[in-house]
Amino acid sequence: MLTRRGMLGSVCKQCLGISAFTQAPMALSQTSSEPAANSAPVLPGRFERPRIDTEEGGLWGMMDREEAKLRRSPFVIRDLALTKYVQDIACRLAADHCPDVRVYLVRTPLFNASMAPNGMMQVWSGLLLRVENEAQLAAILGHEIGHYLERHTLERMRDMKNRAAFAQLIGLFGLVGALGQLGVLSGMSAFSREQETSADRAGMRLMQSAGYDGQQAARVWDNLIGELKIKGGENAGSRSPLMASHPPAATRRDDLMRLAGDKSGESGATEFQKATALHKITWLQDEIKRGQYEESLVLFDRLIGQNPVDAQTLFARGEVYRQRDDKDDLQRSIEDLSRAAQIGNPPVEVFRSLGLIYKKQQDSTLALQSFEKYLAAAPEAADTSLIKNYITDLKP
Amino acid sequence: MTEAMKKFFAVLLVFSLVACTSIVKVDGEQTIRNRMSLKLADAWNKVQLPNDRQPFDVWTQEGLTVDTLRFWAAVPHRGELVRAPSGSVPQGGKATRVPTFVTGMEPDQLVSLFETMYSSDGSSVTINKVEPTIFAGEKGIRFEFSVLRKSDDVQLLGIGWVAVKKEELFAATFLAPKLSFFSRLRGKAESVVKSAQIKG
Repeated sequence: MLTRRGMLGSVCKQCLGISAFTQAPMALSQTSSEPAANSAPVLPGRFERPRIDTEEGGLWGMMDREEAKLRRSPFVIRDLALTKYVQDIACRLAADHCPDVRVYLVRTPLFNASMAPNGMMQVWSGLLLRVENEAQLAAILGHEIGHYLERHTLERMRDMKNRAAFAQLIGLFGLVGALGQLGVLSGMSAFSREQETSADRAGMRLMQSAGYDGQQAARVWDNLIGELKIKGGENAGSRSPLMASHPPAATRRDDLMRLAGDKSGESGATEFQKATALHKITWLQDEIKRGQYEESLVLFDRLIGQNPVDAQTLFARGEVYRQRDDKDDLQRSIEDLSRAAQIGNPPVEVFRSLGLIYKKQQDSTLALQSFEKYLAAAPEAADTSLIKNYITDLKP
Repeated sequence: MTEAMKKFFAVLLVFSLVACTSIVKVDGEQTIRNRMSLKLADAWNKVQLPNDRQPFDVWTQEGLTVDTLRFWAAVPHRGELVRAPSGSVPQGGKATRVPTFVTGMEPDQLVSLFETMYSSDGSSVTINKVEPTIFAGEKGIRFEFSVLRKSDDVQLLGIGWVAVKKEELFAATFLAPKLSFFSRLRGKAESVVKSAQIKG
């Protein structure tokens, strides 16, 4: 717990930090929604490690412990080349702050990235599956670096601490108190939305300064809206402004489009596809395992729209159709799986899925052919014994 | 609020939760939801959490964060294997899908239900073996799987058994940490599962 002296010291130090920073954030995330200026953003100097007896020092210490845990976590993707690729993008954006940014790629099939005040940055595999190119990834990383440079976590912690203590206190007074709590907590959300908008502006400046196409930042949100609408309906992200911690996706997309202006830049699509190719099938399979078929189909439709001859994504979409098994799904599945098989070098599971559909449709000949192809390609598969049983049953 | 008050409320909350969680020692002959009978050679702890409306029974030897033996009995067509998260669905939106049994599902689809269930918290699940078996007196599927638990990075091993009789699903899963616990408790779990019989 902070002593009075410690708190005063912390606030004072923060004041100094902010005063040294006031010029920089104005340049980095100026509040106008006009296109980001052509000049390079002025970044604050590298942060010194705060003293441990300060509020910020305590926060860093906590994040250091989390980072030590994360470093050992089996969820971290241990691919040096891919990690270096993402780290290099972060460095290109963070410029002088590069030595303080440490990127960890984490295997979790959701769209997320975060950056802690001590420089630990996490990028989840669900995000890497969803972005289309290097510029879109840079937009997200730039946004997170924006939070870091503007010390948003510290601000949020202070705000939450104040509001939580106040909310707890008025919560003691029954229903009236409970309503009061809601008001206080919604204020917390509004504060967070301001930070998100500010980080978007900062991210745009950083990515454009690094030479990326700023319009790709808007594309990220445009692409996500389709998935968000599945559970959120037509007004996804804007239905509950009271509790939403981020600006509505459509608003965000439009604001980013305005901020990007007409300044051109690179997208780095080829480089991104090459860097992530090795992991794509694992990320697709993780997405299928979420069991949220409609969201996955929106994502896979988009990915196939960009690359209609991507055998892995065709397999993934076919597999989702097969598992959902609604009206006409099996026929759609056969079409995708057959196309994947024709393209060449498909995942071996294509043949298992085809075999299972043909078996269900009582087409013994095609089921047998598919199962035999599957076992020939994957003799040590987990379900070998089951498939061999099917083959025995299917043989005349 | 003073520090002393905060501590008092925290202790009160912990005591309330402990008081609401019921742990009952079970042994001898047991019945799951009146539809699946079991004979126990060893005693197990049956756990009921507060406001728990899950469609399965959960037993443990060492505690829920260590090992779990879950049973589903007579899950009907369109029956959920796990309770759907609460909360309203926005207009024009769809509810979060939860693993749901549908009659006519192929064995691999039945296994996928459990794969999705155990990966829903961000854990990473791998199916290591799937084979035909007899479960609860019916032809069914036995599968072995591993789970890398998201909350604490612990590596767990599991076994599952599923059978379908008259358009109803019957199943059991056992899950425990790979290090020491799985091999130590596996025999006890398999002994219970082996005794399963469908009633009616």
